[in-house]
Amino acid sequence: MHRSLTAFIAAALCGAHPHAAAADEEAVTVSALRNPVDKSYRRMLSGAELFAQRRGELAPAAALRFKLLPRRPGTRMDDIELELVGDSFATPLPVAHDGTFELPADAAALKERASVRPNRRAGSMTWRAEVRTPGLPADVRRLGDLRLECEVGMRAGLISNYRPVLFRWLDERLADSPEYCRRAVPRYLFFADRALWSVTLVAGTRREVLSVDLLYGGASRDPDWKADLPYCDCEVLMDRAFFLPLGDRSWPDDALVHFEYMDDTP
Amino acid sequence: MKRLIFLLAALLSACALTPPAAQGPLGAGEIASAHAARAALALGLSTQTDVRKALGEAIVVDFESGYEVWVYRERPVKKAERPPLELVLLFDPSGMLANARVR
Repeated sequence: MHRSLTAFIAAALCGAHPHAAAADEEAVTVSALRNPVDKSYRRMLSGAELFAQRRGELAPAAALRFKLLPRRPGTRMDDIELELVGDSFATPLPVAHDGTFELPADAAALKERASVRPNRRAGSMTWRAEVRTPGLPADVRRLGDLRLECEVGMRAGLISNYRPVLFRWLDERLADSPEYCRRAVPRYLFFADRALWSVTLVAGTRREVLSVDLLYGGASRDPDWKADLPYCDCEVLMDRAFFLPLGDRSWPDDALVHFEYMDDTP
Repeated sequence: MKRLIFLLAALLSACALTPPAAQGPLGAGEIASAHAARAALALGLSTQTDVRKALGEAIVVDFESGYEVWVYRERPVKKAERPPLELVLLFDPSGMLANARVR
């Protein structure tokens, strides 16, 4: 079963490669950080499996990576060391300068219920899936890619530390399911590369600037947004955060999402 | 000279910013006309003080970077065909109006 699943995921993840250390080799002593950021390899791989299933419909030309993002003020994002850690091995995973990495297909990691673990303390970082169709300008994303990004992110359990009771402007029924992403406007936070001024959806001649209600985590509708900020994984990314009308199928998957940034010249 | 033109525009548009008496005074972040309010402002010239004086208190979303987004919305009208317009203003860290849009 593991072999077939591994083959399946390997096909989904272009360039994925197994870790070098075999499970039956001498056990590796992991000099682990106390209370590190930690994600379940099994759940992340489940997200990659969903990517493979849904890619044909939503984002046929896209590739999947996962991304590390700062979660707390002062978190250093340079020189992050990431490892796939099981009971008997710890395999380094290369992290690109933009914080993205590929998740390898690895039967031993599945068997040992491995973790994906950066050398940062718990709560200091958050995670997202990144689904990108190549060839688009830097300030443009494809809506189908982002729809799939949400579904993979939900399946993989990447959202960190929502506390709905306190965090009023996010949906209290934030479900741990890809179905959540098919709501009209799910409260799934995306993060642009830089501080956002506006987000515009474009499909053919149709063009719509998103309401400010969908930017900055909806802060303009919540007078207490600052008090709730520590419970959101957008804490240091508020100026880059936005929602999208993912479930509004009047916008095709090929619709483009254009970003304008605060530091652009008008 | 630019400053004078801006002040004149602000004065001329003042009537457009005043709500109909029957609706009562505008609340924080409310304006009578987003387009008229936008016309009263000038990128690179209007300061936060200018805007507050012309439009009243905004809904403010401020960031660690020093940028601030101010939001004004037209008062909702019952049975309106479209949602109320919003005026969104971006102030750079020096407090100068850097960008604006009506939606």
